[in-house]
Amino acid sequence: MSKAASVKIEPRPAAGLSRAMLMLFGLLALAALASLLWGAGDVGPARALAVLAGHGDSEARFVVETLRLPRTLIGVAVGLSLGVAGALLQAVSRNPLAEPGLLGVSAGAAFAVAVALWLGASAATLRVAVAQVGALVGCLAVMSVVRLRRLGDDPVRLVLAGAAFSALLASLTSLLLLFDQRTADEIRFWVVGSLAGRRLDDLVAVLPSLGLALAVTALIARPLAALALGERVASGLGHRPGRVRALVVIAVALLVGAATAIAGPIAFVGLVVPFAARALAGPDIRRTLWLCLPLGPLMVLAADVVSRLVVAPSELPLGVLTALVGAPVLVAVVRARRLPTL
Amino acid sequence: MSDTLLMPSRAAARGLDAGAAERVAPPPGYWRLARGERHLLIERRALIVSLLLLGLLAAASLAYLCLGQQVLSPADAWAALQGEGDPLSGFLVQELRFPRLLAAWLTGAALALAGCLMQTLARNRLATPGIIGIDNGATAFAVASIVGLGVSLAPPALALVGAATAAAITFGVASGGDTRGYRFIVAGIGVGAVFGAVTQLLLARVDIDTANQAYPWTVGTLNARPGDAVAVLAVGLALGWPLAMALARSLSLMRFSDAVARGLGVGLRRRRAQTLGLSVLLTALAVAVAGPVGMVGLIGPEIARSLSSSRGVPLTASALAGALVMVLADLAGRLLLAPIELPVGIVTAVVGGPWLLWILMRPANRRVS
Repeated sequence: MSKAASVKIEPRPAAGLSRAMLMLFGLLALAALASLLWGAGDVGPARALAVLAGHGDSEARFVVETLRLPRTLIGVAVGLSLGVAGALLQAVSRNPLAEPGLLGVSAGAAFAVAVALWLGASAATLRVAVAQVGALVGCLAVMSVVRLRRLGDDPVRLVLAGAAFSALLASLTSLLLLFDQRTADEIRFWVVGSLAGRRLDDLVAVLPSLGLALAVTALIARPLAALALGERVASGLGHRPGRVRALVVIAVALLVGAATAIAGPIAFVGLVVPFAARALAGPDIRRTLWLCLPLGPLMVLAADVVSRLVVAPSELPLGVLTALVGAPVLVAVVRARRLPTL
Repeated sequence: MSDTLLMPSRAAARGLDAGAAERVAPPPGYWRLARGERHLLIERRALIVSLLLLGLLAAASLAYLCLGQQVLSPADAWAALQGEGDPLSGFLVQELRFPRLLAAWLTGAALALAGCLMQTLARNRLATPGIIGIDNGATAFAVASIVGLGVSLAPPALALVGAATAAAITFGVASGGDTRGYRFIVAGIGVGAVFGAVTQLLLARVDIDTANQAYPWTVGTLNARPGDAVAVLAVGLALGWPLAMALARSLSLMRFSDAVARGLGVGLRRRRAQTLGLSVLLTALAVAVAGPVGMVGLIGPEIARSLSSSRGVPLTASALAGALVMVLADLAGRLLLAPIELPVGIVTAVVGGPWLLWILMRPANRRVS
């Protein structure tokens, strides 16, 4: 795909893609609306709708504007980050099962945050940076295992290694919780993954890194598509596989670290979203990435709304619902006679 | 010892006199005990390994009784165990440490035995009940009975139901008869994740006090061992171990391909079902006592295998090694951060996680046995 070519070659006409995008964004708008209207408390859809229309009582106004609106925005950011991070990780490891939650990237971020809290930190911005460093370390660990032992050749073994790594970090995290009651209280709900009780400040704190990561993603989408054809082809087309990989690792660490810092470790979003996107868009990573933009938030918001309604008046952790949706997808992918290679 | 073969004397079958039978040399590496018509072949190495592990277990158990916040001398601990000595150490040893030690023995042995059975069944050393989600199933159901969903069954019974459910689902979704390879295990991880989520769901529904009460169940600890569950586990192990030994011969043949095993006269379907059932039973009973103590089912058989020869499936050695690991892990959990007590499940996970990674990353794809 040389830039000098006079004929512009498109992989396929993009009409199908834009139609799918339109539909997904419609669904996402619906999910966001649902997230504003329904909740675990007693402000029902009718009262919330009144607030959206510009009037409504003060309690409903408080609930919708101060609680549900930030939560919805945060859900969008988290879903976006996790979906895109999953797609990137799967593309670069050429493994349909590579998922930040399963491979220990989220667990690395969570462990780093737990250590930071234990050492006495509590500022929101510090937490984001710490989580991103943890995610970076986790990501590097996984990628080096893949490169060292060629575990990438067997997608399923990679998942097993990731599961072992995550379990190890999770037990170290719960070790820290035992040490310190204060940390335990601060972290116990966070560590299962939830959107409840997060403030808009958290979101503002992660926005810069989110923007940076998305910019990096936009830059490397094209080399990544070339890399899918094999390392030599990519080199021949003038890309540098090593640098692309490094950029992917950085982008994934930024995205997963940001999402984990806000919402805690949430598994399976990075598995289900790219899976669905590939099913809709085919194997091209650029189309997959586009579709991940609406799909990730859609999944997280839908799961979040359900998590408020199932056990009202209390709430479920979001991670529970994504696991309930995601684990069957994992099993289905594994069960497929021929594992799809990327 | 999986490796003891009870066989009618070949010499007797040939119609020779008993004296001639005495003179037939046993196969290399075996000792022969002869009594009348029947000969018992004992594999020398298996016996030595078992005795070695038994000795280590005894030493570790003595240390377990002596060490703690209040350190006793071995003589004091022994006297206290007999009911002599001063009342304080008597209380410490008899009421606190010994029952806990007993629970550690039983759960460790049961988990490792179950792990060894499952590994042999799946012909994969990573396919332990903990990894393929059976632990999580048992935990989910046991937590359900604690947080009270209007179910009046005792936790052990429900843990059994949960373990059976998880095993059925895992084997169901990984069907096609292919329990080899890693797909089966990852399918199990998926099933385990669902049950883990169910456990969280149940805990989220109840108030914080009940959730705290059920918390030990989610990490695995010997601190909150229910007495009746320990008794049930003891009975289960007393029944399960001989059953496993009875299966040992078929098991060592099942390590080969299906065709070979069938050709050597193993009724595969039946033996598989029995092995699976036994493994699930032992896992469930152990989980009902201690919660999901991960990795013992992996580490125990791994130690046993590295010590034993490759002749048979090292069932007894696995059970002993599992008990040893459990005793040492719980002792470490009690001592390391002295005022605070670490749940044994965390200790085993911290030790076993890197071990599991190491097994995965080892270059050679060694045969599982």
